[in-house]
Amino acid sequence: MGEAIIQFLDTWSPIDIVLIAQNFDRFLLGAWITLKLTGLSLIIGGIISIPLAIIRAGNNPFLNAPVWAFTYLFRGTPLLVQTYLIYYGLGQFEWIRETALWQPVLSQAWYCALIAFSLNTAAYTTELLRGSIITTSKGEIEAAKACGFSNSMRLRRIVLPSAFRRALPAYSNEVIFMLHGSVVASTITIQDLLGVGRWLNGRYYLAYEGFITAAVLYLIIVLLISKGFRIWEKHWLAHLYPQDAVKVKPKKGLASFRV
Amino acid sequence: MSNASGDQAALEVVDLHKSFGDHKVIQGVSMTAHKGDVISILGASGSGKSTFLRCINLLEIPSAGDVYVAGEKIRMHTDKAGRYQPEDIHQVERLRARLGMVFQSFNLWSHMTVIENVIEAPIHVLKIPKAEAIEQGEALLQKVGIYDRKDYYPAQLSGGQQQRVAIARGLAMQPAVMLFDEPTSALDPELVGEVLKVMRDLAEEGRTMLVVTHEMGFAKDVSSEVVFLHEGMIEEKGDPKQIFQNPNSDRFRQFLSRTMQ
Repeated sequence: MGEAIIQFLDTWSPIDIVLIAQNFDRFLLGAWITLKLTGLSLIIGGIISIPLAIIRAGNNPFLNAPVWAFTYLFRGTPLLVQTYLIYYGLGQFEWIRETALWQPVLSQAWYCALIAFSLNTAAYTTELLRGSIITTSKGEIEAAKACGFSNSMRLRRIVLPSAFRRALPAYSNEVIFMLHGSVVASTITIQDLLGVGRWLNGRYYLAYEGFITAAVLYLIIVLLISKGFRIWEKHWLAHLYPQDAVKVKPKKGLASFRV
Repeated sequence: MSNASGDQAALEVVDLHKSFGDHKVIQGVSMTAHKGDVISILGASGSGKSTFLRCINLLEIPSAGDVYVAGEKIRMHTDKAGRYQPEDIHQVERLRARLGMVFQSFNLWSHMTVIENVIEAPIHVLKIPKAEAIEQGEALLQKVGIYDRKDYYPAQLSGGQQQRVAIARGLAMQPAVMLFDEPTSALDPELVGEVLKVMRDLAEEGRTMLVVTHEMGFAKDVSSEVVFLHEGMIEEKGDPKQIFQNPNSDRFRQFLSRTMQ
């Protein structure tokens, strides 16, 4: 029976499904590498972006200017270039090769990609959050002042929680862009999801098999991310839903709200 | 600060000035609110009444003058750049917590539910234990008649309901004085009544209140004193029963005839 199916696919399928099946564990491993790299970059970049966004939203020129320069640099150049500069570029400097960081970190493609991706997403997220912070309702800030909140308490309790929520729909885009951007890793020897597709193509000269499989897996991951964000938004942005949404279980009517 | 008779005012404002650039908005206003006083501040738009109220809790920094909250003076000084500034922001924060403020546009924290709005400052500013804050907060929501909506978000409430929540939020700080900045001006006419009713109840239970308002009925019936501002100065003040009947100032008479027809 199994033989018959394989026979049938071998003869009639336009792409070599058997080859994909044989290598599917490689693709899953590649997907895992992609997810790990994207996820870690988003976490590190996200943590970096919060203080930077607060600085960018403030009006201290001495702090603001360098952060602005950082976000301009990383948003103004391609991720591929940034990754090359870190992976190929840093090694040119002997003093960098002599630091303790060289052997365990900077000579490793994995860490170079992680650093480049983290800084890149940090730059985008910083500007995203900044926009969200500076559009916090003036009235809500005044109400917090009038209640005796200190500056830092106001930031922690009112401004940031509100800004994070409002930034969420746009941030889901950043997550998806970062996932797609992570294919850059495959150009510096990392066997991420696209890397496996490239490997298959290089080995068997079968472009469709590798790249379609990678594309389908990317699609599935994006679907899961979008779904996850939709649930998160429903929970976190409940305060923007129309009247009585709390008591009435949110159903289809709320879809119109989604940005 | 103690005055001549020795009792302590809940709030005392002495010779307050405020300019925006060359534009003098408040030009020497003084006011004293003793415990239980309800002072209505009237005036045409642009008379400086809201600015005056906002100077009391330093949402606007006055250009000159002093504010005493429950006898404690908000310490001000002139900084190096020549601006009149509070000396100690922590003192300002502490005294702001003693002044409950209700805004024209409610200004509830939109990402928090009704009860979270009410307990937020007691927990994080007054450092009251959460369970206690919830208990007090729920009692206040009962009082303003909105307990059944305690888990709603502000955007899910009508304007009148939001304003009542905002009043509860102010009361939760157990303030020495409640400041109301045109609390009914942003409301649809049919919602004004429910907010005024709550404010009347507060006045009756002896709360000290400063109310900037256009509601002549409230000013006349509820307040113990009415102050009429014109171009940043007190044009007329006194017992509402007297001055509504016999205004001394022509401007106040004109104002009344325009607004009470």
